[in-house]
Amino acid sequence: MIKAIIDNIKGLYSLLVGLSITGRFFFSPQKTVHYPRQVVDPEILSSYRGPLELVPGEKDPAQSRCICCQMCVRACPGHCLTVTKEAGSKAPAAYLYDFTYCCLCAACVESCPTGAIRFSHKVYLVADSRQALHLDLLADLKVRASAAPASESAAAEQTGT
Amino acid sequence: MALSLVNFVVVIAAVLLIIGLMVVNAVIMVYAERKTAGFIQRRPGPYEVGPWGTVQAICDSMKLLGKQIFIPGNVDWILFFAAPVLAFFPVLLLFLPIPFGPYLTALKVDEGILLILAFAGFGVISNILAGWASNNKYGLLGAARAVSQSVAYEIPMIMALLGVIFLTGSMNLTQIVERQGAWPWQWNLAVQPLAFFIYVVSMVGETNRAPFDLPEAESELTAGFHTEYSGMGFALFFLSEYANMLLVCCVCATFFLGGWRGPFLDGFWWTFIKAYALMMFIVWIRWTFPRVRFDQLLNINWKWLLPLSILNLWITAVILKFVD
Repeated sequence: MIKAIIDNIKGLYSLLVGLSITGRFFFSPQKTVHYPRQVVDPEILSSYRGPLELVPGEKDPAQSRCICCQMCVRACPGHCLTVTKEAGSKAPAAYLYDFTYCCLCAACVESCPTGAIRFSHKVYLVADSRQALHLDLLADLKVRASAAPASESAAAEQTGT
Repeated sequence: MALSLVNFVVVIAAVLLIIGLMVVNAVIMVYAERKTAGFIQRRPGPYEVGPWGTVQAICDSMKLLGKQIFIPGNVDWILFFAAPVLAFFPVLLLFLPIPFGPYLTALKVDEGILLILAFAGFGVISNILAGWASNNKYGLLGAARAVSQSVAYEIPMIMALLGVIFLTGSMNLTQIVERQGAWPWQWNLAVQPLAFFIYVVSMVGETNRAPFDLPEAESELTAGFHTEYSGMGFALFFLSEYANMLLVCCVCATFFLGGWRGPFLDGFWWTFIKAYALMMFIVWIRWTFPRVRFDQLLNINWKWLLPLSILNLWITAVILKFVD
């Protein structure tokens, strides 16, 4: 009986501790990023797993490292990758990626023998239809290569396997 | 008390003012509650609509006004529509005996607190009607919980108030305020701290607020007794919930915190400052403590609050006897 009373008084003290914690949080600064006016620090986004992108080639940033071995296609649990081969060469003719089925599991990234794919850091990707999330990664690679060739090749050297 | 024509006009004017107070109170409290929740969780709360999101609550109430009132099948529709009205109207009466200021009292009756406690029971009836009439298992479970909880928490609440009534020797709220002084050590809080504690706990239980919000526990009962209500039916429940919160806080300020008596200058502002400080404390509690289980809820009441309130009443009576 006495023990129960002491336990309850201790419980009341724990209520005060809880109130002090939320009271302290009330006055501490907020962590929210008001998106359209501010953007998240790119340093924080370096560990973010966005949709897949192709790693630029070492010599030509517009050229993929992909050798069309189809390992990523087999490893993918969602069957969201389609890779077709160019006749007479190892370069891919099309690298199609269905982001609607992708679960970002990284099985394709780990299975790739040449390190040709990686996760992008696109947080702000928005689409108004399913079709808009069926991405053509080769076209995306060419766009990035023409936009910033120097920085992309530098990034490729850093992440190259 | 003779109900002359002047008194009648005063009461009608007071009822109109109270309707305004209820609406303004609900809008302000929704905004304050969402902002507090945001700050405690280190996010800004309503932010985009108007400067600092101040227009958000008004936009939400406009949305509620414009919504269709959906009536599910197999509903006892007389009771279904009677329930929100029954939740709303008694609250108008409940504010009448509250002395907001020295001259700002609508109905100076000798048994003011008796009037409040008696008509507060209508809230429970509206809850059980809403749960029963909407022909929904969640509604019915919520109503059953609301009744057993409200009935249980009314007892220690009244016992705690009785301690103050013993001290004052009157149930007239104006007299209770006048017997207290302006400074905090002259308030009833200084002589009845245990009663104040019991009252604050049962006040949260009585108004079905977290951590005692079991009648509308979202994770178990979707929304409890008002699951099937939409549009203005829901809005009336919502209004009366916030009005009930303001009412119990006003009663607490009157009984324990000196009502309109305050340092430097007496006036109605002290009642509102004290009542809204208590409201913010209830909001703070809501965003801090997790919801209790139903058996824990009733254990707190029957095993702790009720014996403590009886003890408090007994000690008060004995001391008063010896002092006299």
